[in-house]
Amino acid sequence: MILTLTRRALMGTALAFGLAGVAAAQSFPDRAVTLVIPFAAGGSTDVVGRIVAERMSQELGQQIVVQNVGGAGGSLGAQQVAKADADGYTILMGTVATHALNPLILKQKPYDPVADFAPVSLLVLVPNVLAVNPELPVNTVQELIDLAKKEPLAYASSGNGTPLHLSGELFKSMAGVDITHIPYKGSGPALTDVLGNQVPVIFDNLPSASSHITSGKLRALGVTTAERAPSFPDVPAIAETLPGYETYSWNALFAPAGTPPEAVEVLANAAKAAMADPAVVARMGEFSAKIVASGPEELAEHVKAEMTKWEPVVTQANVSLD
Amino acid sequence: MDLLANLAMGFSVASSIANLGFCLIGVILGTLIGVLPGIGATATIAMLLPITFQLEPVSSLIMLAGIYYGAQYGGSTTAILINMPGESSSAVTAIDGYQMARKGRAGTALATAALGSFFAGSVATFLVALFAPPLTAVALQFGAAEYFSLMVLGLVMSVALAHGSVIKALAMVVLGLLLGIVGTDIYTGTPRFTMGITQFADGLNFVAVAIGVFGFAEILRNLEDEHEREVMTRNINRLFPSRAEFREMVGPILRGTGIGSVLGILPGGGAILASFASYTMEKKLSKTPEEFGRGALAGVAGPESANNAGAQTSFIPLLTLGIPANPVMALMIGAMIIQGIVPGPSVVTDQPQLFWGIIASMWIGNLMLVVLNLPLIGLWVKLLTVPYYVLFPIIMAMSGIGVYSVNGNPYDLFAVAFFGLLGYVMSKLRFEPAPLLLGFVLGPLLEENLRRAMILSRGDPTTFLTRPISAGLLVVSLIVMVLVFLPQIRKRREEVFTESDA
Repeated sequence: MILTLTRRALMGTALAFGLAGVAAAQSFPDRAVTLVIPFAAGGSTDVVGRIVAERMSQELGQQIVVQNVGGAGGSLGAQQVAKADADGYTILMGTVATHALNPLILKQKPYDPVADFAPVSLLVLVPNVLAVNPELPVNTVQELIDLAKKEPLAYASSGNGTPLHLSGELFKSMAGVDITHIPYKGSGPALTDVLGNQVPVIFDNLPSASSHITSGKLRALGVTTAERAPSFPDVPAIAETLPGYETYSWNALFAPAGTPPEAVEVLANAAKAAMADPAVVARMGEFSAKIVASGPEELAEHVKAEMTKWEPVVTQANVSLD
Repeated sequence: MDLLANLAMGFSVASSIANLGFCLIGVILGTLIGVLPGIGATATIAMLLPITFQLEPVSSLIMLAGIYYGAQYGGSTTAILINMPGESSSAVTAIDGYQMARKGRAGTALATAALGSFFAGSVATFLVALFAPPLTAVALQFGAAEYFSLMVLGLVMSVALAHGSVIKALAMVVLGLLLGIVGTDIYTGTPRFTMGITQFADGLNFVAVAIGVFGFAEILRNLEDEHEREVMTRNINRLFPSRAEFREMVGPILRGTGIGSVLGILPGGGAILASFASYTMEKKLSKTPEEFGRGALAGVAGPESANNAGAQTSFIPLLTLGIPANPVMALMIGAMIIQGIVPGPSVVTDQPQLFWGIIASMWIGNLMLVVLNLPLIGLWVKLLTVPYYVLFPIIMAMSGIGVYSVNGNPYDLFAVAFFGLLGYVMSKLRFEPAPLLLGFVLGPLLEENLRRAMILSRGDPTTFLTRPISAGLLVVSLIVMVLVFLPQIRKRREEVFTESDA
């Protein structure tokens, strides 16, 4: 009797806990979710984040509040989310910088990109582009490589240790050329100097360079993705000249490690639904971003693959920041 | 004729009831946040970005632009009344504007600022409409070497900002340069003087430093002597300038507008330099340079016109190239992309309604601001009659919120506290904060461009002399330097110095 009672009581307790668990999952989210964007407002990550947050808010039935925590190449924002309460109410718009490059480059690691985060969804891949000022007498990637072997050239990037800088370094090592790297504080000033022909070559995000390519003020030699970008079918992939060359920027949602799987699932499903919305699809298309909208497992593997891919490039380019 | 037709189209877009409404909301909001110390246009526009989703692209950009130039107006109000510049460009206004307020001429100073800004805004808007594409070509001529020489010119001119000892002014410029070094070196990635604090990896926050050395230092000074402040608030003169004062401000306003319009189009420090440059010029041209720093009308009229003209013309690189001249413009680009408009050279041709609508709205917005602000001056001046023990905690709290809202970085608040104390010590020792701020703003640009120019020229320093624009700027710097150190001018300076000591 006693035994049965105890067993019954135990079962009851277990059932109660189970129900509570279900109830918690169903009620998530019951208040506003904060999306930390680890860069200043107005940049490409910010734009992707705000478009997605807007649509996801409708899916979740709760407002997603965007908070820009810029600084230290995205590390400050990522660090903040890594240390936040693991309840799903604080999430991060991670990028190739926060979850692959910074952890490889920084000597003092402020967070661990794998252990400190629960992956939610890989949202989009954004191509980068290799472009030149039209006054530079080259029309193809091969001609640029030939010219670089003959005379000294320089290329502009959005800063030291950024995905664009490393795209350039990867290009240099695969093409076997030396081109001087000129870092800027962000993509805008770098682009200005290439448009003014102060620096002849640039690696930039395709979205930020696209209007200049269309208007002919920049000549695009190649996109950095393995295949051509649908928005610029006439621009070849660099991989057509240098087989195996592939880089891109990406945006993905992360929650702090230890977030309940139910909450992660709710967020991932909302992200997936948001990315399937025709209006969002159209915006991302204009933005030259390729929609992935993966689940948590794919994102976890993606992070590992990216770290493996970039490690030799970072070592070879000898980039390290304290 | 094209221009007229385009402008007509622009006005028809901008004067729809909805767009007039958004323009009004923008300028009112801008004025308010400009008046609240610390909360700048950058933070406000960032907070409002999500709302712009729901609006028409033209309406949202008209509203955001209104916030931006509204804040320029409002920012000078706090600079004049409580010595608290919220934006780098109003730091110069604080020098003479606040002195005018202390002498009971707050109303005149505010009216001058409003009228000068309106005139400059109108002229600059017209320039944007007329010359946007050719002016962009000029801006693109500026490479690293040219920027370096421009910064040299700016630093040389900064010495003229001081109204006391030249040596002390130089010391402050150097201190500013050193403070500007804090942060990650962009060429090597080495953190410099961050004391191991990651939050300072991107350098010290300008708003934090400015609010500290100007604002908090002023509060500390005022708390020392409550009595003096009461005297100041009782002598409020009439609000509107007299005929003589009008005559006095015409020249500075015209010159300030010119300087501001030209420098505003340069991406990076251009607009910041404009108000400093105008101040220097007025001081050099003035028959009574000893008045500067003690409430000279020209010291308010010139820089205020220059910074407003610069604020308008900084839209040129944005609208024609899609390149931001300052953080606010970067946010405008974000707002455009969210709306599905890719900023760039194609905007003028693909979206003429948007382009000309924004330009027309700028003029309408400036008109609204002057109509709003002139009657409000009386109200702002009344603010000075609020007892200080009520006013100063409010100022401190608002500033704290404002500084924190820029980056959400608590270390910025520590910086405010530190620079407040530093500013207080400086004022006790009769060091001026303005040259420090100029050094702080220009220093990083000077270094960045010097090193970039040297990398591009492969270590050949003659690049600064062989490039014509750069050489020209260096020659002007030399001339300014000679003027500063010419014996007679120097003598006059010393007279001023002894006088102020006496």
